Amino acid sequence: MSVNQGGDIRLTKFDPLRRIIFFDDFDTGTSGWTELIGNYHGSLDNMLEPYKDHRPPQLSTLSMWDTGSAGSHDGMYALKIATRAKRGHQAVAIKRTTFRQASRIRLETYFCFKPEATEMTLGDHTPRSFGFLFDLQNDTERVMPHVRYLNALDGQLKQKWQFKRERAAFTQINEEENTVSHYHLSPEGWEDIPDGTQRLCYNEIATKHNWHYLRFDFDLATMRFLYLQCNDRVLNVAGLEPIRIEAMQNLWCMLNLALFAETDADRRVFAYFDSVVLSGDF
Amino acid sequence: MRTSYTAVIERNVIIKGDFSTEPYECGWASEAVIFVRSLNGSLAGAEGRVQISPDGMNWCDEGTRLPLPGRNELTFCRVAGFGNWLRIVGDTGDKSGGVIVTMHIKE
Repeated sequence: MSVNQGGDIRLTKFDPLRRIIFFDDFDTGTSGWTELIGNYHGSLDNMLEPYKDHRPPQLSTLSMWDTGSAGSHDGMYALKIATRAKRGHQAVAIKRTTFRQASRIRLETYFCFKPEATEMTLGDHTPRSFGFLFDLQNDTERVMPHVRYLNALDGQLKQKWQFKRERAAFTQINEEENTVSHYHLSPEGWEDIPDGTQRLCYNEIATKHNWHYLRFDFDLATMRFLYLQCNDRVLNVAGLEPIRIEAMQNLWCMLNLALFAETDADRRVFAYFDSVVLSGDF
Repeated sequence: MRTSYTAVIERNVIIKGDFSTEPYECGWASEAVIFVRSLNGSLAGAEGRVQISPDGMNWCDEGTRLPLPGRNELTFCRVAGFGNWLRIVGDTGDKSGGVIVTMHIKE
């Protein structure tokens, strides 16, 4: 066991950098993960429409009607992000912290995703996407690397990794306090990662879950993509760019991580994560 | 220390006629308090029902009733021993109201 695993055997299935920033196992709680909400002022009504309903995260035992509880990858509970049964709906959970050193950071997690087992069918075309994003800010700019696995779109399997660098338009929520909002998770602007097609282990019916490993490295000093891996595939991140915005008034040293899921049908989609490890090279 | 969590099940939604909240998986919890806060309109006199489920998809009444709020009111119910999922269903008839529904669940 290496020093950076800190004597914790649960970390041996990860390859973290020297400093564990957080290690969320979800067997003892939600560990700071909450629902993403948009900005508002005076009334919830002036929130941008897509931000109004990102759903609260849940702690799940992956309990299925036909086989009972699968449990999580390690222990009983995993973080569950559940969409509504409405085509195109997105569920987003976020953990908010700040960084103390602009170093290389590494996200690692085990994940799986499935449609709700409301039909005795394969359902592999139902999940549209799942993914993650960081929301970061240094002294000069706000930087938002976005990555998603586009599983299906308009009923067609896509099975490829994508990123987004296109900025969404800003909307003024309140002029006096300069509160603005932008919906960066919109369907527009996603670009294919070169050679980014990957077939995952969906498995044969909606109630079987196979965990997958995901690793993503990003440099807070240069604000550049460094590495992306899913299971045995290391993707080419050369040329990938995050969304870049001028620094905003109250987001200094922000280090937010969000996880999301999206459905391509009028059927709920669940993305599960267990565990989530963020480490830094300092 | 006991684990607890507040989940905002519905936020700024209009309830009118038949309704059901999204299922919430919380098998780790043994008890819950469910609040309904009025944001606009009035649902005074209408009721919701707590439902439980073996799988998050098939539902039956648990037996607890949840009075729905009149204008600017806050209502609640308590439930315990509910298995893995909770939701609220009901029928408000012609009454309409904007609400925020929160579940406060505890180990």
